[in-house]
Amino acid sequence: MSLLQRDRELIVANEFCEEFDFEETKEFVKNASKNLFISHKFKTNKGKTLVQPRGGFPTYDKMFALYGEFAKVGVDIFPMTIDSNTRLNDYASAKKMLELSQKENTDFLNGYPLVNHGYKKTREMITHFDTPISLRHGTPDARLLVDMAIASGAFEIEGGPITYILPYSKNFPQDKAFLYWKHVERVTAEYSKLNEPINRESFGPLTATLVPPVITIVIQIAEMLLSLEEGVKSFSVSFAQTGSLNQDLVMGKVIRKSAQKYAEQIGCGDATINLVYHQWMGAFPRDKFKSDSLIDMGAMIAGMVGADKIITKTRAEAFGIPTKEDNGQAVKNVKYILETLRGVPNFVDEEEEENLTREVDEIFEAIFNDKADTLWRKIFNSIKNGIIDVPFSPHVINNNELITVRDNASNIRIYKKGKLPISEKSFKYEQSKLNLGENPNSVVNQIIKDIGVML
Amino acid sequence: MKIVTGVVGNDIHVVANRLIDISLQSRGFEVFNLGVNTYLEEFIDAVIETDSKVLIISSLNGEAEGWCRELHKYKNHDSLKDVIFIIGGNLSVGEGDESLIVPKFKEYGFDLVFHQVDLMDGLEQIELYVKDRFKL
Repeated sequence: MSLLQRDRELIVANEFCEEFDFEETKEFVKNASKNLFISHKFKTNKGKTLVQPRGGFPTYDKMFALYGEFAKVGVDIFPMTIDSNTRLNDYASAKKMLELSQKENTDFLNGYPLVNHGYKKTREMITHFDTPISLRHGTPDARLLVDMAIASGAFEIEGGPITYILPYSKNFPQDKAFLYWKHVERVTAEYSKLNEPINRESFGPLTATLVPPVITIVIQIAEMLLSLEEGVKSFSVSFAQTGSLNQDLVMGKVIRKSAQKYAEQIGCGDATINLVYHQWMGAFPRDKFKSDSLIDMGAMIAGMVGADKIITKTRAEAFGIPTKEDNGQAVKNVKYILETLRGVPNFVDEEEEENLTREVDEIFEAIFNDKADTLWRKIFNSIKNGIIDVPFSPHVINNNELITVRDNASNIRIYKKGKLPISEKSFKYEQSKLNLGENPNSVVNQIIKDIGVML
Repeated sequence: MKIVTGVVGNDIHVVANRLIDISLQSRGFEVFNLGVNTYLEEFIDAVIETDSKVLIISSLNGEAEGWCRELHKYKNHDSLKDVIFIIGGNLSVGEGDESLIVPKFKEYGFDLVFHQVDLMDGLEQIELYVKDRFKL
């Protein structure tokens, strides 16, 4: 038995996990309907932006009703958002809260506790709807969850060792996260040999707070490389609406080109790389009509970027977890825009594209030059020493020296580069766009304004 | 002048914490930022360890009172005699009445209390207060 298989058998021996049948699960994946694979849908819908809302409820019945609503409005990809207890591997609390939710008909969890429901039951729901499911979670140690998800028929796994740690956790050991996710990549790669590939997706929005394009792209590609080197064949890089139309369009181009380039560089050019666009992830207006406009704008930009998938928000964003009706309405709006938007003009901003590409290359050069012997250790060291620095990360390992603000055209620019190894030329370009004056506190005021740019 | 700061309790709201850090640095202070999710004991330890004379605790999720009401228990420590204790943010769950909240936190041992005060106004007042107290 391989070491990986031994680990998996130990992991599913968890007291909250049902009896896990690896052989039966393999047969299921091997014979599963092509309609369940997002990787297949990407292939057969080339040039179309698939629509995926957000959502997850604690009970099976509410989840089933949510999917029913999604099927009615023609959602392309269904989300399966997991509750916060499961994300922390606290299956005992998830179990208690699930029982309460069932008994009192009120939601005591902010998502679907997949481990407690089990894969056999969940598979019935997924195969019933025969639509690709995307696992959305935020789990640092997702080893059990991912085997359960794939056994259930969820053939897209979001997350990664950086994007599920730096924005979400203060103390979870970053090095452990790399190793836990390596396990996830291997499991995903193994299942990918049986039928269409299982798709992995990175979480590009990060803290959704003034993250400069170069950091988003570097982290997206870093997670992609860690995944591809373990044998994953289908991967989605993603980013969130920046608040600047110009920067969104530039990013869309640079992330696609650079991702392909680096995949080839490590000998994984045969993998399919997809692009996912998140509608605005920052603070939403409390005025629902403004929210609708913001959602429409995001849909239009996704179309212009040529994203393979868009992940939608709803007008209820400022108020809490959206109802299935809120979600249905947002999806209808977004689909309407994407279907009527035709003949998008070819947008080129050579100067911006060149600068962003160079910044990405400069940071990767520093990462690859790290003296560690494996890619994950190089990336780990780069986070530790500030070569990768995520604005507004709560994690203790993050360097917190990088400071960004918006320029007059709403582009996110680097004001203080901290230990980012970008060249004088790149940094000068960023600075040339800014005009903040001498008073250092004007930067703080500017940041406050920039965070609330969509309010 | 050294300042220890951070967000108290199981509160992960990081944005204001980072802004406080940047603003204090630009005002010329040496900042030891413990970040989000910090317990009162950790704040006190850091003040002693760094020999800071100012502690600024912030809270956004409204749960500060439960985490900070035992400040007196720690304040007796000799090396904390001259330390200025400050707390600010959303100091109650819901709206909260400032005229009740401020005296309550002062009773717990805080010298300055800011409830739902504009961030930059609050920091301005802190700067003036600290400079006045230490004759800077």
